[in-house]
Amino acid sequence: MSQSTLPSYAVPANSKVMSRHHPGVSNGYPRDQHDFDFAPHSFLPRANPVARRRKKLMTRLGIIIAAVLLFGLFVWPGDFSLTSVFSLGLVGSTSEALMDTVRYYDLSNVQGTARGWEREERILLCVPLRDAEPHIPMMFSHLRNLTYPHHLMDLAFLVSDSKDRTLELLIEMLEELQAHEDPKQPYGEISIIEKDFGQKVNQDVESRHGFAAQASRRKLMAQARNWLLSATLRPYHSWVYWRDVDVETAPFTIVEDLMRHNKDVIVPNVWRPLPDWLGGEQPYDLNSWQESDTALALAETLDEDAVIVEGYAEYATWRPHLAYLRDPYGDPDMEMEIDGVGGVSILAKARVFRSGVHFPAFSFERHAETEGFGKMAKRMQFSVVGLPHYTIWHLYEPSVDDIKHMEEMEKERLAKEAEEREKAEKEKKIKEQFSDTNSQWEKDKSEIQNIAKQAAADKKTGSKKKSKPTTEETDEDDRVNADEVDEDDLLSEPLEEKTGRSKKAEPEDKSKVVGSKKRTGRPARKGAQ
Amino acid sequence: MARPMGPVRLRKTNYVTLTIGACLCLFILYFIVSDGSDTSTSASSSSNGNQQLLRKPAPAQAKLIGDRPPVRRFNLNNVTITPDPIENREVVLILTPMARFYQEYWNNLMKLDYPHELISLGFILPKNKEGNAATAALQAQVTKTQKGPLNDRFRSVVIERQDFDPPIISQDESERHKMENQKVRRASMSRARNSLLFTTLGVETSWVLWLDADIVETPPSLIQDLAAHDKPLIVPNCYQRYIDPETGKPAERPYDFNSWQDSPTAQEIASKMDPDDIILEGYREMATYRSLMAYMADKSDEKDVEVPLDGVGGTALLVKADVHRDGAMFPPFSFYNLIETEGFAKMAKRLGWAATGLPNYKVNNYICKIVASALLLLTLL
Repeated sequence: MSQSTLPSYAVPANSKVMSRHHPGVSNGYPRDQHDFDFAPHSFLPRANPVARRRKKLMTRLGIIIAAVLLFGLFVWPGDFSLTSVFSLGLVGSTSEALMDTVRYYDLSNVQGTARGWEREERILLCVPLRDAEPHIPMMFSHLRNLTYPHHLMDLAFLVSDSKDRTLELLIEMLEELQAHEDPKQPYGEISIIEKDFGQKVNQDVESRHGFAAQASRRKLMAQARNWLLSATLRPYHSWVYWRDVDVETAPFTIVEDLMRHNKDVIVPNVWRPLPDWLGGEQPYDLNSWQESDTALALAETLDEDAVIVEGYAEYATWRPHLAYLRDPYGDPDMEMEIDGVGGVSILAKARVFRSGVHFPAFSFERHAETEGFGKMAKRMQFSVVGLPHYTIWHLYEPSVDDIKHMEEMEKERLAKEAEEREKAEKEKKIKEQFSDTNSQWEKDKSEIQNIAKQAAADKKTGSKKKSKPTTEETDEDDRVNADEVDEDDLLSEPLEEKTGRSKKAEPEDKSKVVGSKKRTGRPARKGAQ
Repeated sequence: MARPMGPVRLRKTNYVTLTIGACLCLFILYFIVSDGSDTSTSASSSSNGNQQLLRKPAPAQAKLIGDRPPVRRFNLNNVTITPDPIENREVVLILTPMARFYQEYWNNLMKLDYPHELISLGFILPKNKEGNAATAALQAQVTKTQKGPLNDRFRSVVIERQDFDPPIISQDESERHKMENQKVRRASMSRARNSLLFTTLGVETSWVLWLDADIVETPPSLIQDLAAHDKPLIVPNCYQRYIDPETGKPAERPYDFNSWQDSPTAQEIASKMDPDDIILEGYREMATYRSLMAYMADKSDEKDVEVPLDGVGGTALLVKADVHRDGAMFPPFSFYNLIETEGFAKMAKRLGWAATGLPNYKVNNYICKIVASALLLLTLL
């Protein structure tokens, strides 16, 4: 009774509970216990050592066989003769044949996430082409450089109404790319779609960007885009990337950069470089904009089939354009909600297209093609975003005016160059004539001085003889030189004066060389020597 | 005696457990490994087939040059769309958004006498309990057919599951046809149709036949008959067989009210409406006075009578693939106050493709419960 109230250390030694403070065996068991003993008292014979050894051997053998099997599975994963033992006929050859015609896809697996390259999400890269032969090599240099895993990207090209070698060159370069020695270069599925729409609109820059041609041109473009997409989009695509062939400069990581934002539709800013005389650079893609009230009001007044096109004075919409909001030092990750998108480089989740958003080839809310696409995506509550400070550069194709201007400039430049060359030649000649005048003069001077000295010495001696067997002018010349020596400052004196003076000595020279006074001096002096 | 000193002995190794464990490990590893190897083997085998629809994505990392996907060219200028599709070997894609699987639907499909090797099938099913059941039933039938006699096998079958949840509306006839539920239901239906369409259209399809999952009876020559009219969009008249509750005898009544010719009244209603609202057909609250194709049928046997239409229903609808390729889809939003198949007809019209109806050419809808039918009848009258 009293025991129950006692603290634990007061438990007597014969209790079944061991006291921590009671001296006992170091392994923690009470020393003297007969009633609590869990070691068996009966004799347990150990297993026969031979049997034990055999068992050990069997274990080792089993482990070795298992290891070999596992290794084999890793090394020859396709070896079904071995694995079929375990598959119990679950994968038969009949279902293999059936799988050829039946496919099952769960579309919720291809929603598209911010880090698609980690989840192995497939992208469909769509490129519409028309008479694009000169740009194809440039496009392939971009393709080779894209950092998104190439085997996850399927390429789709639409070649329509091309009169040049677009198709041939494309196939050639694609096969080269697929056979590239670097195993990371080849892309996934590659489809080239050929379809002629009977292009009524000319593709050259002037007619392409003329206002009147815009509506029908853009409807045709839209049609081409829809054909390309509907023919190549598959249930396993998570993303669709639209890229124009004539992009000149773009980051290699552009797909990942756009994907990271995890938006339904996203576009970068598109500018183009310009020659210096036009300002060096210019916003190019004016189709990415935010809707404005003015534009909405304008749309109300227009005919059902009218298409508002951006960047033309005919439709002043006062919309904020993505292109004009660029700050070269701005944060490239800054996002801006937009309503119309430009088609140069669009990354969109495939589910946007799956749910029916396309490039309207008719006037959808007074817009067509990519702008209509943006509008329709908005209409279906998808997020449409532009990156004002993330810029890619479109190729600069000079317009007819630009070409004319450039031709004029070229002419001007040539004329200027010719003039300069002439001038330079003239100067060169002048220099040739006068570059050594000083040294010549020095030489002359010293000689003359010598002569003068000699003359003086002659005078002194009173012999009055001619020092050198020269012309009869020597006397005159001597006199001139003596004068100049007397004057003491020979170099600073104007040349004209000197020559003028020497001219007096040889008037017959003047008849030979009329135009230039300067020339007359030299032969005279040379003659003097 | 006290227990001998020394480490506590482990339990004896049980070889049975070890063996089972090793086997399990092998199993798991086998399934992990075989998943990867499966794709590589089947991808190479499928590449020789002409079923462009069924191509699997390229294997994760093609190591050998021979494994690399080839560059394929498709000339869509050569895809013909003619009134004589069998002669010209034109591929027909039959698309069915499915919520419930009806065996009669499949039987009817099997009875179509258009060459099966020119028919591709596409199904889309919602991801819910009902959809799972339908998928299982459908897959069973597909497997049976595709393993069956060669003549019965279809060119290809694609089964897709929706990536969005269907609106939580009961599929019961009475609930389904309530007006306020219609817009949500039909928007969801449009998205399902579009998802199915744009992922299966491919490069070889000439015609697209939209067939609802509850169409259980069509003439076997449905495809040829409709294609012979050579119209971009063509709809037969859809009827529902039922047991007349008054007479107790089987009877027929029109079912699809989405095929109509526009009326000035409807246009007036539309002009007063919010652009996001939709006009629905077959509801007393909104009398549109459109001429419905459902009521245009006459007793004559003249099956080839054509009528121009402004709205079409999707129960059975044959469309030239070019119409869809141009971008005509089923708007899941209010498009000119129209939605789904009616909006599709409008969009096709904006793209320059007109719709046609065949009032005397009948396809039949599934017989439904009499009570539900009676309710429906009441709402309609």
